[in-house]
Formats: sequence, structure tokens, C-alpha cells
Amino acid sequence: MIKVEHLYKSFDGKPVLNDISVEYEPGKCNMIIGASGSGKTVLLKNLIGLLEPDSGEICYGDMKLSEMSYKQKKNLRQKIGVLFQGSALFDFATVIENVMFPMEFFTDWSAVQRRERARYCLEKVNVVGSDDKYPNELSGGMQKRVGIARAIALNPEYLFCDEPNSGLDPYTSILIDRLISDLTKEFNMTTVVNTHDMNSILEIGDKIAFISNGSMLWQGDRHTILQTECKELRDFVCANTLARNIIEGK
Amino acid sequence: MIKNFFESIGKYFLFLQMVFRKPEKWKIFWRQFINESDKLIISSILLVGVISVFIGGVLVIQTASNLENPIIDKMYIGYMVRESLILEFCSTMIALILAGKMGSNIASEIGSMRITEQIDAMDMMGVNSAGFLVLPKITAATILSPLLMLLSLGLGLFGGWIVVEFTQIIPPASYITGIKAFYNGFYIFYSCFKISLFCFMISSIAAFNGYNAKGGSLGVGRSSTASIVTTSILILMSDLIVTQLMLY
Repeated sequence: MIKVEHLYKSFDGKPVLNDISVEYEPGKCNMIIGASGSGKTVLLKNLIGLLEPDSGEICYGDMKLSEMSYKQKKNLRQKIGVLFQGSALFDFATVIENVMFPMEFFTDWSAVQRRERARYCLEKVNVVGSDDKYPNELSGGMQKRVGIARAIALNPEYLFCDEPNSGLDPYTSILIDRLISDLTKEFNMTTVVNTHDMNSILEIGDKIAFISNGSMLWQGDRHTILQTECKELRDFVCANTLARNIIEGK
Repeated sequence: MIKNFFESIGKYFLFLQMVFRKPEKWKIFWRQFINESDKLIISSILLVGVISVFIGGVLVIQTASNLENPIIDKMYIGYMVRESLILEFCSTMIALILAGKMGSNIASEIGSMRITEQIDAMDMMGVNSAGFLVLPKITAATILSPLLMLLSLGLGLFGGWIVVEFTQIIPPASYITGIKAFYNGFYIFYSCFKISLFCFMISSIAAFNGYNAKGGSLGVGRSSTASIVTTSILILMSDLIVTQLMLY
């Protein structure tokens, strides 16, 4: 469980996040949605500790992120898997080395055990036979899958995905969404997905938080989002033709 | 501007503090150290070697053309070439060349990792990214650079000998006598110390600039240029200070 309480963040005096409070539950795909520039990525970076909030609290279980020591943060980070927008695979390592990378640092497994675990994770995301390829030899969809395999390599309790569908075709997007959803349920992870893709929201959004201009305007799930009374969210949702037709009863 | 300057110095030392944290696993550190030794030092051998041979030859011709006085023994030409190589060329000039080659390599590599979020990914795993990426580079460059200096010295003297042998500008025996005359071992230590210090500055400043790169590929280019300019100036300034402290 991740709890965010009254989070504020600004850059050079310009507020980017205003009084954000939300809870993320395990075993669910928790989504942060909003238009580009609404503050989604800033919120995600605050959640994973890459940015520090001006005020407010982020709690992982009973532990407050702001009160954790360097060692505690380091231990927490070993329980976190992150899929970055551009996958962020290491250029200097092959596919299998990328997945084995966190294991090398934080486990005492032998090389054979690490390789087996990496192969298992790659099979989970349907990447087979590309072990020795380098990231620049893979398509965007494959890179995302390898990114997910690396993120789940150490059985994380928390999985964060920053716009996992950006730059992908609709078919691959749905596959990635379902993969994230299935892994979340299978490993009972607390997953937070940052997206503005309506297909993803309607496909896997177990819990949805809508952000506009740095403020959280609505919370709900994929079943209630189409009945929303929030004007900003309706405008956001109705940018998608299918959703607009459903809302307007066509 | 002054505030930015002091802020950068503070950030640089905080960065070094992160770099010099105990590595998570020594096995991984040694593997990276070997990789970086190959990438930074072994790959510089050809460049350093070619430049040293030619500079050695040029130094012989220039020194001979300035010492045509019949009273002065021709062996002093060899002696002066050797001293010029040891005291300045093999450490300072080679360091300036390495500032371009090694500095741009380190700054652009780490800078592109920063803008593609690879460094963020490492941090998120709980890996000390500065320690993993930068410490092996700094140690390889600092510890192994004296080998480049010694190689440069040997090849510089060899370049001089080739010119002497083929042009007979001075008798080859005098050149050989000159490069063996009045040998002072401390000068070798002084030169090794200088190149180690310069390579520490090159690798750490380039890594610092790359690590803090912002703004896409333009930012990587800027960090690369900034590291070459900064280290070149610092090398010349610290050359003056170290020379004053160690030789006078």
C-alpha cells in the first residue's frame, strides 16, 4: 500500500502539484491519468523518490519516505520495479544482461541461477530467443517488454510504469497493458501506471486518479469514469471517439 | 555567475562523495575496472604512441637547430630532448590530448545515459549509479595513466633516434649518450604524479558534467565541450602549481 497525503511540488516558484492525496492498493492497476503537462510524471517521480516534494507525505506501508535513511531508501528501492517511458535499457548490456543486472547487485545467486531467473522473466513477457541482442536491435514493443522483465526480476512489491504505451501501435499497447495487469494480479504488486491513453484506462484501470493542472479532480475506476460529472475529465475522456459515443449513448 | 561557480564546486565534491562510496560488490567493480582500463587507457595507446614518435623527432630537429654552437657538446641535444619529454610533453601535453579523447568519451557516454533515463533506472534499483559508472573510470585513468606517460617517453626518445639515425643531424652515439646523461629519477616520479593528477581531473570532471547533463542531445554536446574546456584550463593551472611545489 502506498499512501500520498497533501503533496505539493513546485519548480522555480511555479506550482506543479497541488494538494495531491491518494492511496494505491496492492493487486490493482492504479492509474494516474491526465493531459500532457498536467503533472503526472512529476507525481510519479515524487512517488519513486527521484524528486522530493515541497511538502506532504508519501508512505510505503508504515514508513514515511521523507524520514527514511539512505540505507532504508536503498532497501525500499530493491522492492520497486520501474518501467520508464523510453524503457531505459542499458546500452552496454544485452537483453539477458539487462534483466540480470539487478540480480547481480542484490542477490547471491550463481550465474546459472541468475540466467534461469532472467529467462523466466523474459518468458513471462514473451521475449524468447533474443537473449544476446542489444537494446538498439529491438523494436519499441520488445524494449518495453524487456523493461518490464527487468522491473519484475527481483519480485518487486511495487511496480511503476511511466507511459508504457507511448510510441506503440494499438495492438502492442493492449498486449503491454494486459501483461502489466496480469503480472500485477499474479504477484499481488502495487502497480502505478502513468498514462493518457484512453484504451489503457478502459482496459486495465482498477483505480484511476485524474490530474489536471497539478490538482487531483477525480478518483474512481474504469466502470465509473464514463459516468463522471467532472467537466475536465469529461473533456479529457471525450477526446476519444469511442468513449464519447458511449457517453452520448450512440 | 560567482554563485553558480561556487555551487558547481560544491556539487562536484558531493558528486565525488557519492562516487567514492564503498562499491556494492567488489567483483563487479573489478570487472568494470578492466573494461574501463581497456576503453580509456589501452585504446589511447595508438594515439599517444603516434604523437610521441613525431614529437620526439621534431624536438631533436628543433633543439639541434638552436644548438649549433661548436663549443656545446652534441650530446646535450639528446639530454635536452629527454628532459623536455619527461618534464612537460609526456605528462602535460599528453594529458591535454587525453582531455579531448578521454574527456569527451566519458562525458558523452554518461550524458547520454542520463538523458535516456538509464541512470535513473540504476538509482531506482538501489544501485549507486555514480559509484558503478564513475569510480572504475576514475581509478583506471588515475592508476594506469603513468603507463601512458612511460610509453610516451620511450616512443618520444625512439622518434628522436629515428630522426638522428636517418638524417645524421647529430652523431647517433652523441644522442644515445645525451639521453643517458645526468639521469634524475625524481623527474620520472614527478611526471607520473602529474599525469595521474591530470587524469583524475579529466575523468572526474567529465563524469560530473555528463552526470548532470540536461536537455537532450544538445545537453550531451554541451557537457562534453564544457568538460574539455574546463579540464584543459585546470591542467595548465595545476601544472604551474605542481611544478612550483615539486621542483623549486
